[in-house]
Amino acid sequence: MIGRAFVFAGRNLLRQPGRASVGIFGIAAVGALLFDMLLLSRGLVVSFRDLLDGIGFDVRVVASDAAPRSGPRLSDAENLTRQIAGLPQVDEAVTVRMVDATVDEPRSHWTIGFELTAIDPARRRPWTIMAGADLSIDSGQGILLNARLADALHARPGDSIKVRVSCIADRAALAPATFRVAGIAEFPFDDERWLSAAAWTHGVLGACGGGSSVPADMIMIASREGYGADGAVAAIRRIRPGLRPATNEEIVARMQQQGFTYFRQISTVLSTITMLFGFLLITVLLTVSVNQRLGEIATLRALGFSRARLAADIFWQSVLLVGTGGVLALPLGYLLAQWLDRILKAMPQIPASMHFFVFEPRALVVHGALLVMTAIVAAVYPMRLVSALPISATLRNEVVG
Amino acid sequence: MCVRRAIPLLIAAATCLSSMFVCADAARDIPAVLVSRQLFVSEKMSVGDVVTIAADGAGTNAHRFRVVGSYEPVPDPMRLGVVRREMRMHLPDLLAMSADPRDPLAMETVDAINIAAIGKKSRDRIGDKQDAAASEAFAKNLAARIPGVYARPTAVSDDRTSPFVVLERFHLAIAIVTVVASSIFLLALMLMLVDERRSTVGILRLIGYRRRRILEYVVVEGLIIAAAGAAIGVVIAGLFQGGVNRFFQWRYDTALVFVRITPGIAFRSVAMAVPLGVLAALASSWTLLRREVFALTRR
Repeated sequence: MIGRAFVFAGRNLLRQPGRASVGIFGIAAVGALLFDMLLLSRGLVVSFRDLLDGIGFDVRVVASDAAPRSGPRLSDAENLTRQIAGLPQVDEAVTVRMVDATVDEPRSHWTIGFELTAIDPARRRPWTIMAGADLSIDSGQGILLNARLADALHARPGDSIKVRVSCIADRAALAPATFRVAGIAEFPFDDERWLSAAAWTHGVLGACGGGSSVPADMIMIASREGYGADGAVAAIRRIRPGLRPATNEEIVARMQQQGFTYFRQISTVLSTITMLFGFLLITVLLTVSVNQRLGEIATLRALGFSRARLAADIFWQSVLLVGTGGVLALPLGYLLAQWLDRILKAMPQIPASMHFFVFEPRALVVHGALLVMTAIVAAVYPMRLVSALPISATLRNEVVG
Repeated sequence: MCVRRAIPLLIAAATCLSSMFVCADAARDIPAVLVSRQLFVSEKMSVGDVVTIAADGAGTNAHRFRVVGSYEPVPDPMRLGVVRREMRMHLPDLLAMSADPRDPLAMETVDAINIAAIGKKSRDRIGDKQDAAASEAFAKNLAARIPGVYARPTAVSDDRTSPFVVLERFHLAIAIVTVVASSIFLLALMLMLVDERRSTVGILRLIGYRRRRILEYVVVEGLIIAAAGAAIGVVIAGLFQGGVNRFFQWRYDTALVFVRITPGIAFRSVAMAVPLGVLAALASSWTLLRREVFALTRR
């Protein structure tokens, strides 16, 4: 009976192709927007988590809850790093200092400012080499540039550049120091316009005359296998209760509360509106369709079709409209997501490797569930109309009217 | 006897008065600080309170400041959700508190100097209609004259990357998709409406109405429905904007205005909605008007 009702519903829709196509395209349009809003609701979180995990360090120690470079810094960082690295729960600990640097570009006479990261990485390198060689102990005063900075300076691997470094904001910069470009690297947190570089700590501190007394912005820590990030954080808090170690998950949760909250809000609002839209579209389509077919429905009832059979017809029409539109919504939603993602990635300080719209199977499941719910709820009123239709009065009105 | 009793009272009063003057003088000597509203409320401060501030968590070189008022931080959409705990003080006071005594230039060092350009022809500030080229030239000249100084104009020539502009483009994209979906919805409704009027149109054609006249009725009807719907939509948006702003200002503890319906926006919305409504009416009526009259009246 379900099969027959399904086929019957399909034929009814095909009898009015214009109305059926408009309903399907309408559901496809709102379904695409709904799908994109579901991708947006967790896209930044998923993307940011992947970015953090991809670097290889799963714990970060900072001096306060402020973002790096905007709050207090870690003093006595070298001793602190040695102490943390000595913990059995810690596999690797690296001090990170982010300082301002400038180079006088000889051709344009512009002073090009960029962010220089002073770091002594061991096994894990928080960057990807695109050209040239990586920093090594033997490379001396080596420096890695990102591609945009290399283009701005017209520098290639092997070239020497004179860099003026300022490690502490309220201190004047010394005379420029010569660095040799070891290679071109991609830094994961750079946005599409950011100019950045990385060099050994001793080289950077030597260039700014700061020495090891220069406070650090953070300490990146990789936990040892078997203990996990939580174990490393607990151990650090035991030895230094005043510090603020955070796992990648905690950092992601904090960003979700602060930085990404606007996109969660807008995705919730737009998801609600699109669902309401879809519900209204299908309800109106089916209700008007029923109202226009009252005589036909009454005739079918008089011929012996049960209420349940005719209500099932309405139900399957709703399912067909929403289902077909929902399937079309997926490729449409994918294309729309590419477009919206390109728009949003133009925002400053958004890393180039992050995305706002990230596909998760969970989003597909939620999308399907919401559409199914819309199909069911939208069919309720027209099904009720059909079930409660008085046969004889309706047939009489058809003849007389 | 009354005088003898009064003397200790007078001395006490004079002592009290003089100590009040000393306290007032001391308070005036304490430098002033303005506190952001969020910090003012969270720390339960009052105007006149004396607070101790240091530049690091260890309390090194702490100084006392007198709270003279609170201010609302300039809303920053990039920092939504961040509680703005900030203070404003005079530059010499900040330098005295935060300068490194080992650095002889510490008291002469700042993070940035803001410069307002003056127009060549008049002595007025260039202001909002800033000559970007002149600012850029000045910045370049300054950077070349003073090595180690990084000068740049605040108004960048390519404004496409401003967060406001990016969000505006995003909202516009969402609006376009919503308008497309609404148009499809409207088309569906008009199709059903037209279907119901098939016999009416057939009778009108039978009694002599031309297609063109019926088309005019369809266009005018579509225009009235679209204009009325657009006007109602603008009114509803205007009614909702206050509630939306109040909710998000409460949610994010900010003075940022999230929704503002301007005459320009209302006009653009109506200008977009009305032609779409008329087009939907025309598109839905097209097949009806093309049919032969007997096909319309056939039962």
